[in-house]
Formats: sequence, structure tokens, C-alpha cells
Amino acid sequence: MGESGHFEIEHATWLHFLKANHWLPDWMPEMVPITWLVILILSATVIIGTRSLKTRDPGRFQTFLEFCVSALHGFVKGIVGEHADALTPIIGTFFILILSLNLFGLVPGFTSPTANINTTVAFALVAFLVVQGFSIRRMGVISYTKHFLGDPIWLAPLMLPIHIIGEIAKPLSLSIRLFGNIFGEDMVIVILIGIVIGVLGKFLLPFQFPMMLFAIFGSFVQALVFSMLVGIYIVAAIGEH
Amino acid sequence: MAYLVALVIAIGFGVPVAVLSGAIGQAKAASSALEGIARQPEAAGKIQTAMIIALALIESLVIYALLISLILLFIGIPSAAELIKSVVK
Repeated sequence: MGESGHFEIEHATWLHFLKANHWLPDWMPEMVPITWLVILILSATVIIGTRSLKTRDPGRFQTFLEFCVSALHGFVKGIVGEHADALTPIIGTFFILILSLNLFGLVPGFTSPTANINTTVAFALVAFLVVQGFSIRRMGVISYTKHFLGDPIWLAPLMLPIHIIGEIAKPLSLSIRLFGNIFGEDMVIVILIGIVIGVLGKFLLPFQFPMMLFAIFGSFVQALVFSMLVGIYIVAAIGEH
Repeated sequence: MAYLVALVIAIGFGVPVAVLSGAIGQAKAASSALEGIARQPEAAGKIQTAMIIALALIESLVIYALLISLILLFIGIPSAAELIKSVVK
């Protein structure tokens, strides 16, 4: 942001060498390799942790992973109810990935990939496909389109546009909510640092620290709300018929 | 220059109005949730979950207003002359 000149921030993270050497295409923002790095860290953690699973006398890391999985399963079961076995992977992945991406922006030298509208729109599109695909597979195509037409069949010309607009508004609001919250938190931190530099001349006091604590809390809440809303949209799409 | 002055005044009044309405809505939602928890403490988990969802949905409307102000500030809208030039060419 700020290419027009009145708010110049030089975007450089620890992965800037990938762009400086032109190993990436020029249109790719710097947050994409950061997303890859987060995915790499999460996958490596889980793959190394599940290499030798034991049923008796498990180690500490396996117990921790089992705790995470059972906590996510209970969380999804509270929302979805009976479909929890099929939906825990996708909703749990949304939660863990969005939480990791949000928190990664607070590490010095990195930026939040979710502070860019492209990442959040990608998440929202996947969530939209998951909701529609799951409800089509569960209800069948015929009753799925019938639910779009509403209860008294002669109200169909009115109910159909309303339902379609409602279905499109869901991924739109998901993406804008996540982007606005995380981008706003990061921007407040940046501006607080700028204020300290402007008043004191150098960066002497970490005045942005309370805001970073609030940003940790906000990251949790936004990840929770995103995954919970995906579950609720699925329940609403199935239970209406 | 006048455009920038008008823009700053518009954003300076528009975003706080959105924040005010959002705060009133969230206050109502939170107070009903707290009343429900006080009435039935054993349903506290479900009420808390529903309250968090309601707060996030109301807050997203406030963020729409912030998003529009950010778009106007940093991406901007073209003037009528530029629009006509791009269409005519």
C-alpha cells in the first residue's frame, strides 16, 4: 500500500531475498512465501509428531496432538452435531491455519498473510465451495435447488434472488471481516511505532506492546469466528429442508 | 485539494457514525447474553458461543465502513475527466 507516495513503507520481510533475486514472479506479493513457510512448519510438526504413534505410554508430544484433535472435534461437534466426523478436518484446518497466519504477523520481520485481501478471499472461496458441496452431497441436487425456491412454490421469483444474494453475501462477509480485523490490528501497530518515532526521534519505548497483546487476542477471536461461521453456514444449509 | 478536504471530513464523520452504531448493537447483544447467563448459569457455554458469533457479525458491518474509507484514501476514485478519457479512448 502507499504507492502514491504519501505513506511510504518499504515492504521487506525475512523472505525478501526471494524477491530481490527474482526467484519469484514480480506480481507475487511477499506474503505468499510466508504462507508457504507456515504451511511447511505446520506440516513438518505434525508429520514428525505422528511418525511412531503408540497406544500405550505415548510421549508428551503425541498427547498434546491428541488433545488438540479432541478439542477441535468437541468444538466442531458443538456446532454441527452429527456430521462432526466428516467436518472436523476442514473446520479444524481453517481454525489452525488462520490462527497461525494471523499470529505470524506479530513475529518481528514477518507480515500477516491474512492482512492481504487475496488470502482471505481465497479462504472464503474455499469455505463457500465446502458449504455448497457438502449440502449438495448430503441433500442431493434436486432438494438442494428446491430449498433455494422457498416454501410456497409461487413465491419462487421472490425467494430465489434473495437466497442467491444471501449465499453470495456469506463468503463476502467472511473475507472482509477477517481482512479488516487483521489488517486494522497490524496497521494500528505500525502507526503506534510511527508515533513513537515521530515524537522521540528514535525507537526508544515499545509503546505498541499493549496493542500487540490485543492483536494476539483478536487473532484467536477471528480464527474462531471464521471456522464457527463455516460450521453454522453448513448447518443452516442442511437443516432448512 | 478541495477533494482531499472533503474526503477527510467525510471519513472523519462517517467512520465514527459506523462505530457508534456498532457499539450500540454490540452492547445490546452482550447485555442480553449476560442476562441469559445470570438467569441460567448452566447454559453459559452455549450462550457465550452465540454471543461471540453475534458480536463478530455486528463488528463486520463496522469493518465494511472502515474498508470503504481505506479504499477511498489509498486507492481512490478517478475523477470524472479521467473516466471520460478512458472511455472515449
